[in-house]
Amino acid sequence: MILIGENIHIISKVIGEAIRNRDAGPIQSLAKAQTEAGADYLDLNLGPARKDPEQAGGWLVETVQEVTDLPISLDTMNHVAMEAGLKICQKRPILNSASGKADSKAYMMPLAVKYNTSVIISVLTDQGCPPDVDSRVESIMDTIACAGGLGIKTEDIWVDPIILPVSADQKQVREALEFIKILPDLLPGVKSLIGLSNLSNGAPTPLRGVLNRTYMIMMEKYGLYSAIVDVLDPELMELNRGGLPEVRELIHKVMDGAHIDMAALSERECNYVKTARVLLGESLYSHAWLES
Amino acid sequence: MAIKGTDIVKKLPEGGKKNCKECGLPTCFAFAMKLASGGITLGKCPYISPVVKAELEDALSPPIRPVIMGTGANAITAGDEQVLYRHEKTFVHQPGIAVLISDDEPEAEIQDKIRKFKELQFSWVGKTLRADMLALRHKPGDPARYEALVKRILAATDCPLLLMSENIDTLLSAHSICAERKPLLYPVTPANVEKIVPAVKVKPSPVTAKADNINGLVPITNRLKEAGIEDVFLDPGSMDLQSAIRDQTLIRRAALKQSFRPLGYPTVAFPCLMAKDRKREMLLASLFVVKYAGIIVLSHLDEHSLLPLLVQRLNIYTDPRMPMSMEENIYPINNPDASSPVLITTNWALTYFLVAAEIESSKVPSWLCVKEAGGLGVLTAWAAGKFSGDSIAPFIRKCSIESKINHRRLIIPGKVARIRHELTEALPDWEIIVGPGDANEIPAYLPNLVKSWKR
Amino acid sequence: MQYKAPLETYTGRIKEVIIGRGAIAVKIGGENILPLHYFEGTAVNRTVIALEVDDNSAAGWAGWVVEPFKDVVSDPIKWARRCMELGADLICLHMESTDPQGANRPAEEAAALVKEMLSKVDAPLIVYGCGDEKKDVEVLTRVAEACKGENLLLGPAVKENYEAIARAVSENGHCIIAQTPIDINLEKELNVKLLKQLPPQRIVIDPLSSALGYGMEYSFTIMERTKQIGVIHGDMAMQIPIIADLGGECWKTHYAKANGEQGILWEGITAMSLLLAGANILVLRHPDNCRMVKEAIEGKF
Repeated sequence: MILIGENIHIISKVIGEAIRNRDAGPIQSLAKAQTEAGADYLDLNLGPARKDPEQAGGWLVETVQEVTDLPISLDTMNHVAMEAGLKICQKRPILNSASGKADSKAYMMPLAVKYNTSVIISVLTDQGCPPDVDSRVESIMDTIACAGGLGIKTEDIWVDPIILPVSADQKQVREALEFIKILPDLLPGVKSLIGLSNLSNGAPTPLRGVLNRTYMIMMEKYGLYSAIVDVLDPELMELNRGGLPEVRELIHKVMDGAHIDMAALSERECNYVKTARVLLGESLYSHAWLES
Repeated sequence: MAIKGTDIVKKLPEGGKKNCKECGLPTCFAFAMKLASGGITLGKCPYISPVVKAELEDALSPPIRPVIMGTGANAITAGDEQVLYRHEKTFVHQPGIAVLISDDEPEAEIQDKIRKFKELQFSWVGKTLRADMLALRHKPGDPARYEALVKRILAATDCPLLLMSENIDTLLSAHSICAERKPLLYPVTPANVEKIVPAVKVKPSPVTAKADNINGLVPITNRLKEAGIEDVFLDPGSMDLQSAIRDQTLIRRAALKQSFRPLGYPTVAFPCLMAKDRKREMLLASLFVVKYAGIIVLSHLDEHSLLPLLVQRLNIYTDPRMPMSMEENIYPINNPDASSPVLITTNWALTYFLVAAEIESSKVPSWLCVKEAGGLGVLTAWAAGKFSGDSIAPFIRKCSIESKINHRRLIIPGKVARIRHELTEALPDWEIIVGPGDANEIPAYLPNLVKSWKR
Repeated sequence: MQYKAPLETYTGRIKEVIIGRGAIAVKIGGENILPLHYFEGTAVNRTVIALEVDDNSAAGWAGWVVEPFKDVVSDPIKWARRCMELGADLICLHMESTDPQGANRPAEEAAALVKEMLSKVDAPLIVYGCGDEKKDVEVLTRVAEACKGENLLLGPAVKENYEAIARAVSENGHCIIAQTPIDINLEKELNVKLLKQLPPQRIVIDPLSSALGYGMEYSFTIMERTKQIGVIHGDMAMQIPIIADLGGECWKTHYAKANGEQGILWEGITAMSLLLAGANILVLRHPDNCRMVKEAIEGKF
């Protein structure tokens, strides 16, 4: 699937400071590293961008484009910063993101039209995140109808079902999976995207990778078009390229409900199987899910 | 369980692949999903055959029928439940709580019950809790006495009524006096169903099927449905706690898991007739709140026993997906004055209760500022950006706490010590004090703090 | 369509835990049915009731609930005997006086009291520390050692201090209360970790019980889910009995303190609700509720 590098993110201490101080070094270094790692897009996350949004948006895109030809996904809730950045994107960018919230329909969607960008549209509404498949469907149909009304084309829309951390709301993990599965029947021609790392937010840091990678494979099976990921995770990139076929096969087996002889597996393979079971909701999540 | 979109789509024209868009949606699949969630009607599809339409209509109707009793602002809905356990989604309609008045009770008792029914209302987290209906029972003897009771109650209150009489003529006569108030009639049995049917067809009113066991209910509801009467409650005749658990559980399972329509109705429970004393009656009533009853009939109302039951009902029927919230406000505790400490926390009801309770037990007069934060706890709200320097500051300014006090010291929860700096910047004339990390440290913390200020 | 009673059977079974020794021991757990669903199986062991005894002369307790014990509250031994006379299945001794922010009674004294109680009162014992993570390790370790082999139920063991307590429990032949703050994922994690030090038959889950109106529904739902994940879904880390330490929570509320009748029902209704959610042990304060809830459990209502 298409992979969007997530590493240039305001929440990171280093990057956050670099953006605040307009220090190009750390940002360009990460941009180059992600490009080399094989990212298809680079996500630039400005967050709420309260200070000098126009300046910040423009500066960040400019800085990154100095060192890479990759197209950009611009990620901010601030439409002033968004516009400033979109304006100067050299390749067709992705607007990350619009949603069913009133503000978003009013300010973000028109920017996608004005600058002819692709746009990530999430299932969020002013009431928050829909709690199951049916309500996500309800929400996205309404939001996309609105987008369509503004002239945004279906094939330019990347639908985001919103991934919640498995440690916070395990049920949503499967709901998002089921949603992606039925999406092509719901909205033929639309693309899809998830923010993969949010899945493992709150989980023990050394174990985040196996959660993310497992979910990526599961989503891939259901036809997910793209994901915002840590492209500096070599195992994840290898999996995406088709490597580690035995891991992919095991995860598919869990999804198909086939019997698996755990005794015959290596520890790494066991971990993928246990993780897949937790993500499917077959086993209650705990931070010690690999220990039992 | 209610039918899913993925099952509906297979029954749509051309196996759900026609995709003609005439319903206004891009695909048959989208139409199926919308049907399942109740957002569109079958009529919008011009190509469904009448046979399939009838099949889908039946499949789409709620597995447990929603039934309304009473009219107007006091009408109560029961049924329309979708789950066995609240954590699967949520329970929907709180059981109606009725108090029983028999027509052979002494006048003083009747008066007292009516008075208490009207007066016993409690305020709780911005809601008003109270009993909802009156059950009027005819004891064999004097039909005129029953009629008089019914008329009296009709004049005294607007609430929904449950009319109970083993004598079918007395029951129907009472029904005809107040049919427009849609009273719930009790009981319908194989012995009297043929008389009930015509009366209720002419003057519609919900009815209660009663039998000695679950099996006995089936022919009654089948007969009623045949006659087009579907506003039905069930009384499986359970007379003790164990039978009650069994019957309520099996009825709910049959309706939801087996899609067994003859039992797809809400139930009535009578702890008033089952318990040997009042306290046990309330414990039994609380069991029925958890175990699915649609109406619970009590023998008495009493301030100190009604409130706990009403609070339990509220708790069990709270939507687990949505946190209970307090209104954004300043809450005075222990009679504070201008020199009293000011604390701030989020508007999750649980946080409020805990913190308020601890402040109360510290005995230190204090002002508790409760800030709107999506009903989230302190840490979660902070993580969601709803409890930070730039959102707390405007709240402090506009909530008018500044006009109530002669100092500028704000105690923030220890769990969000990290916002101290940004909050100091946003409220430069205030001193931000980091309070304890846990609410249960407040009773030790506050008195010491106040003492240190006095020095 | 014919009605066929939708009875269910499940493959998961809660582990049976024994508390106490010899003739007075009680068994909890062992069930493969949902709470009080006797119509589709057997409970094996019914939910038991513990009455709470405090080692601090009931300081701060609501007057209504001190009343039945007023002549014995300053003597935990006599108080415990009274509780057993009033029908309790076990005694739950709360060591409030060991609280460093209160009387800060030393671990040695606490251990001596427990030992004395064991010798003078014929009752299985639950012992709760004051809730201070560090002090509890000290106190519970000393109690475990002093009462070696007596099979007490000791706690709370929390994520921050469970290893030491589990060691003391394991080495001295007791059972452990695994406590988590209303978080089902943490609950499972703590169980997984404890199961590395103890067999499942020596663990009891305390998901923290909140009083009616003060968060009861959170405790209720966690207990329901825990029970179902163990019994219906067969998750071995959750096939462990549950304790609902609810008495103190209920009686410290403003509503219980305001009126005796109201207080009894505040505790009683919380107890009924958590019983239905899956509690295998109910810790109560008022003897009336001990009596009434027991009747409910035994189907005598």
